[in-house]
Amino acid sequence: MGVVIEQELGTVHGDEMILNIGPQHPSTHGVLRLKVHTDGEIITQITPYIGYLHRCFEKHCENLTYEQSIPYTDRCDYIGSMNNNFGYAVAVEQLMETKVPEKVEYMRVIVAEMNRIASHLLALGTFGLDVGAFTPFLYCFRDRERILDLFEMLCGARLLYNYIWIGGVSHDFPVGWVEKTYEFLDYFEPKINEYNDLLTYNKIFIERSADVGVIPADVAISYGVTGPNLRGSGVRWDLRKDDPYGIYDRFEFDIPIGTGAMGSVGDCWDRYYVRVRELEECVKIIRQALDVLPRDGDVHAALPKKIRPKAGHVYSRTESPRGDLGYYIASDGSDIPSRIKMRSPAFTALSCLNEISRGWMISDVIAILGSLDIVLGEIDR
Amino acid sequence: MVDYFLETFSEITWLASSPNLSFVLAVTLAGLPIFLFMALNALIAVYAERKISAFMQDRLGPMGQGVGLHAGKWGILQTVADAVKLITKEDIIPATADRKLFIIAPFILFTASFTAFAAFPFNEYLMAADFNIGLFYILAMGSVGVIGIILAGYSSNNKWSLYGAMRSAAQIVSYEIPAGLSLLSVIMLSGSLAFRDIVAAQTGTTLAILPNWFILDNPFTFIAFWIFFVAGVAEVNRTPFDLPEAESELVAGWMTEYSGMRWSFFFLTEYANMFIVAGVASLLFLGGWLSPIPGYLEGNLWGIFWLISKVSFLIFVMMWFRWTFPRLRTDQLMRLCWKFFLPASFVTIIGVGIWDLFVR
Amino acid sequence: MKITIGHMFKIKRGNVTLQYPVERWPRPERHIGFSADSYNVIRSRLTVDVDDCIGCLKCQRACPVSCIKIETTKVEKGEDISEANHRGVTSNGTQKRLLVTRFDIDMTECCYCNLCTYPCPEECIFMVGGPNSSRREIDYEFSEYDRNDMIYRFSKVPFDILQKYASAVEKSEVEEAT
Repeated sequence: MGVVIEQELGTVHGDEMILNIGPQHPSTHGVLRLKVHTDGEIITQITPYIGYLHRCFEKHCENLTYEQSIPYTDRCDYIGSMNNNFGYAVAVEQLMETKVPEKVEYMRVIVAEMNRIASHLLALGTFGLDVGAFTPFLYCFRDRERILDLFEMLCGARLLYNYIWIGGVSHDFPVGWVEKTYEFLDYFEPKINEYNDLLTYNKIFIERSADVGVIPADVAISYGVTGPNLRGSGVRWDLRKDDPYGIYDRFEFDIPIGTGAMGSVGDCWDRYYVRVRELEECVKIIRQALDVLPRDGDVHAALPKKIRPKAGHVYSRTESPRGDLGYYIASDGSDIPSRIKMRSPAFTALSCLNEISRGWMISDVIAILGSLDIVLGEIDR
Repeated sequence: MVDYFLETFSEITWLASSPNLSFVLAVTLAGLPIFLFMALNALIAVYAERKISAFMQDRLGPMGQGVGLHAGKWGILQTVADAVKLITKEDIIPATADRKLFIIAPFILFTASFTAFAAFPFNEYLMAADFNIGLFYILAMGSVGVIGIILAGYSSNNKWSLYGAMRSAAQIVSYEIPAGLSLLSVIMLSGSLAFRDIVAAQTGTTLAILPNWFILDNPFTFIAFWIFFVAGVAEVNRTPFDLPEAESELVAGWMTEYSGMRWSFFFLTEYANMFIVAGVASLLFLGGWLSPIPGYLEGNLWGIFWLISKVSFLIFVMMWFRWTFPRLRTDQLMRLCWKFFLPASFVTIIGVGIWDLFVR
Repeated sequence: MKITIGHMFKIKRGNVTLQYPVERWPRPERHIGFSADSYNVIRSRLTVDVDDCIGCLKCQRACPVSCIKIETTKVEKGEDISEANHRGVTSNGTQKRLLVTRFDIDMTECCYCNLCTYPCPEECIFMVGGPNSSRREIDYEFSEYDRNDMIYRFSKVPFDILQKYASAVEKSEVEEAT
């Protein structure tokens, strides 16, 4: 009798429903289309469709000189623009085999880390918004505004800076900027505790994000996931320590990795927590850099008159807030590159979405997408 | 109020001769202030929600600099502007939607809430209809609203709305059980379902200075208050239980396809439901229209004032919840209800019974 | 929950909203923008002091989106177009040799990268406000109702003279071709 019932129920399965989390949606981070196959509320397959923000960045760069491409690199990952500029400048400087002055190196590290703080704040805020906590989003943005105001004082722009140039930076720090940055750091450190109280250790938040969307370490490595997503899965890999560029080897900072404190290793909570911990590490790095920043020196000393690298190619990578940002530049000896390719970390992070969200519900997909911290500008270029 | 009107009409001979007409007139005249009160409540609640949420998030909310500029001083005219906008909006009914059900759904929801207001007392003497099973009636009419939600989601012919409606229906129906059971403890203590008797049982003082409210009566009713309050928040679909209208996931859930005046009905009903839940909680547990300092500041008008202030405080706490906590996922919500609140409410019933037996 | 209620009661101190039309930026006491002398550089509306322009075309070459379009032409010795002020020296003392017949900046295409302001030898193209407040006051509200109004035409040459020079240029081009 029992066997008969089992067999009957075994052949019953619900119809698969195809749901479209469309390009216009309050919580995809940009224009992203997800075609979701669900069985009831359980996901069986997700197919992301990208390309809604494709602006032919790489094609444009084939017609522009090297320094004219810098505003274009800004706009790829528009949340962490300094890091994009930094990666590009490092790549071209490798191709041209120039060295930049010490002061410029320190300045680059300071602004890149500040931009990392701003980017992580946005990631934390929008992740909270995706799971329904409205208030931490505004607190994160309030602090992000302070950083953007500092950047405005520095280079005039709040989001797309065009600051780190090939061979140097565009302007020296204005008078009083270093003091204001110290003030900001002193203001910001206690706020991290506020975020932790409000969101990180909140029981409801932990229930929503712990054990959800686990990326095992081998899956992460095989998909090419890097950055805080990889560190959340327990792999200790950070380009600033393992493949240092610039002067990152002079700073003392930790690499936070996910340990599965509230669930399994590599779940959404771990990735979120890695980002929170990285905020503290960034503050450490900025303080160390500001303390030893050489006060005088010409930031334009190494700016080349004409950027005309020898023929050849280079691939260089830097650590952006989303992961391993790579630039491949092929030059044919003229002052216009023949090919620039950008390897965007969010692209690989999105590619593992299908694998990790099988078996979860739709609300979990939103949470997983929020924890991966993708920026469509970078994915689509 | 209906009784009062009927009495006055019986003295007007030409009206008293046709009892049907006088009944209909009495009911209409009693219903009008209720409707106006609901609208006023929604107006004020929306403004309060915006301002409270803004202050909690370090921003200002709707602001204006004086009448005529932007939104009036302190942004008071914002809700009026909202109301005007909603009324003048284009009425869109999706072509593939089920027209009749689509149009009926907001009305069912609104009617359920409106009729629940009929038994709600503002004072010992001020209520639309004097039921002696007032509490039971309010709980029952609150349940009718589920039909409206399901119809709204189903008739929109939209997978998102369907999801939202199903989730909402499951949520409301399951949370009614702990809500009702936790009220049983109060009914046991007061011995009656009528609001008048329940509040009358809370007069006087305990421990000489504290008011004799049921929430302070024994620790089990304290737990029952919190169970009822949280279950009530779940009934109204507010965060942390607002998955049906989760903005970041389902756009607006079961309300997605509604725009303009139809949506404003849903909106009105949500705030009216909040008022009812907070009102029942304050009538049953917080002493209703009695003043917190027993013996002083009591009277008819003071009673209305105290009741409204207690209800407003509870609504403020609901809004506070919304802007602090993330939302629960559906299965976590259900698990919370069935595995946690339901046994807890059984415990309160048994506990209150035993307490009453031995301590009194 | 204590945090949110705490923020609610500290709103006067913690408020970060700038009530826009009444309170404008910068408001340094609220950490919203800084005063003009603290800025290194500013990104706002582009403007050109065309009296100082020598027509070197460096800004046109530097622009990554090609929103600056300049045309220059040589003027014969005797001619003097007073509106364009093409004789004499710029404010830096450089001798002006060319007449700038067209200097259009399409602000709808401009990406505000500031790359055009660096190469200018006369510093005649700049973004208003900030460190340039002594020359032009800050202006960040330059939206228009018509898209054609967003094309800023800075050349001061009157229309009839433009026609003459345009036809002269075309004539010489045709002669060169043949």
